Amino acid sequence: MTSSTTLWYASRATGFVALILLTVVFAAGIGISRQARIPGLPRFAVTDLHRNLSLLAVAFVAVHVISAVLDTFVSIPVLSAVIPFASSYERFWLGLGAISFDLMLAMIITSLVRGRLNRLTWLAIHLTAYLSWPVAFLHSIYSSGDLRHGVLLDLSLGCAVIVGAAVIWRLVSVVRRLPRAQRVAAQLAAAQPAAGSPPRRTPRTLPPRTAR
Amino acid sequence: MTGVKSAAGGAARQAAAGLPRLLPPVPGDPEELTEHLARHGRPRYHGSALLHAVKSAGLTGRGGAAFPTHVKLAAAKEAGHPVVVANGAESEPASEKDAALLYHAPHLVLDGLALAADAIGAGRAYLYLHAGHAARIQKALTERRNLRLDPVAITVVAAPARFLAGQETALVSRISGGPALPTFDSRRVTERGILVQNVETLAHLALISRHGPDWFRERGTRAEPGTMLLTLHAGGRPRVTEQPIGVPLRSALGLTDAAAVLVGGYHGTWLTAAAVDSLTLDNAALRQHKASLGAGVLAALPHGSCGLVETARVTRYLAAESAGQCGPCLNGLPRMAGALAELAGPRPRRSTLHDVERWAGLVTGRGACHHPDGTARFVRSALTVFGAELKRHASGECTATERAPVLPLPSGYAAPTTEEAWR
Repeated sequence: MTSSTTLWYASRATGFVALILLTVVFAAGIGISRQARIPGLPRFAVTDLHRNLSLLAVAFVAVHVISAVLDTFVSIPVLSAVIPFASSYERFWLGLGAISFDLMLAMIITSLVRGRLNRLTWLAIHLTAYLSWPVAFLHSIYSSGDLRHGVLLDLSLGCAVIVGAAVIWRLVSVVRRLPRAQRVAAQLAAAQPAAGSPPRRTPRTLPPRTAR
Repeated sequence: MTGVKSAAGGAARQAAAGLPRLLPPVPGDPEELTEHLARHGRPRYHGSALLHAVKSAGLTGRGGAAFPTHVKLAAAKEAGHPVVVANGAESEPASEKDAALLYHAPHLVLDGLALAADAIGAGRAYLYLHAGHAARIQKALTERRNLRLDPVAITVVAAPARFLAGQETALVSRISGGPALPTFDSRRVTERGILVQNVETLAHLALISRHGPDWFRERGTRAEPGTMLLTLHAGGRPRVTEQPIGVPLRSALGLTDAAAVLVGGYHGTWLTAAAVDSLTLDNAALRQHKASLGAGVLAALPHGSCGLVETARVTRYLAAESAGQCGPCLNGLPRMAGALAELAGPRPRRSTLHDVERWAGLVTGRGACHHPDGTARFVRSALTVFGAELKRHASGECTATERAPVLPLPSGYAAPTTEEAWR
């Protein structure tokens, strides 16, 4: 294996790992918005997983991009990593990769300075995840033939199924979402009869059995 | 110590001590503009002289937080294009002191609002209050306009009847035309040039502008000078009185016997009768018991009423008054209310007490406003002060012989379900 093929394999391997990581990051992000829990872990574990894996995924994307640029087998200009359609090799499919990468960077930077941002600004940029993941997926499938057969195809389709299911799970909660004004009353109604306790008389009818 | 002093004797004694300062000398008599001017005269301190006088007087906010008024005045002035809001939308069901002040001495509040606006160079002034007071205040404003008393125009804005309507950020949202819901902004309201002061604070400011800081310090303690309005619940109808800060808590309450006392309202703290005997009416003393005067509500729990039942009723009300915006408050408060209802009944599960304590810790500090924090403080103090009662309930007994509710709640209360309820 020459140094050139090392870079070529490194680029494709890190790209594939990044796809899997981004899938988990996407699912965990939806888990946060649904206030989901990982069994046995506190709720903030989902948030931590989402944050840490997103940084790890970007690290893999960075290696994926750098190794592809350094590799001399095909010529890919360094700027094409962030400027869409700047590469003459696979112009369209690499362009999709750049778009996805730009959106990821925007999401990470706005999250790092989230305390200084208006909440809606942060949210609007974070919602581009719904665009970034499918674009990254198309880039993965069509930039090279690796993911179009065998185990890698199965794993890629698995990622698509996970993301699709997560989106459906999110949409269900949007449809079921109560208007703000009705949420408190609903919570109170749910909390009032102490769950699981045996039927008991209400405090008002508590017989006064005083010692005095 | 027997017998009750006659009301007339008490009033004469108070008048000799220069009290009340804010309320009219004869209770139940609203002050018209001519009476107000005859009694208080015209202000002497204006502008920066007034700012200095307020600083020397050591006036603190009477809306609950007891924050130094001069700091807020200076910060709002600094911010540029300041606006002043007099907050009279007291929304605590147990507090009636702002309503009493607006009824009895509307001109003192309006004086203070105009003086504060003038002193910090505010172009606009607002009076935020519950709709019931609006007509009387509008009439008072017309009288003042005819005499050209106020250098700035004062706009009256009505607050919805929600517990959180008077919260500072909710107030700003409502005055800006939105719902009276707390908002989250990393910059404090005052730093944004919006000076929000409780109506009582402004009334004190109006008196300082006439009599100066030394006069103001003739009453109260060194750290907390002046007098304060109190709403007392000590049997019978609630009463609003004005007391010098630092008097014994027991004498401020005017009651010799109680099972426990709630200090500072529904975001406040239950104290045992023994603690009340040893304490004075000031935040420095109350701090040792993790309590504060808040907006001046003192409520005595009579012997024969169950503190847990009272706490459960109020907690349910507080949970229902959550704005439903922040997860910990929306999810945590109703659960705490449900668990307290269980603790107030016979033989609650052992885990329930533990759950309430855990949830109280989980909701604290995690809202856009302090509604979860205040509710958790109230609940925790009840679990401490009524520890013996908790044990009795565990064995299916209760000390209560009286079932009539003690702490007031709005009649026919139900959780709101429409956006309009916040407008």
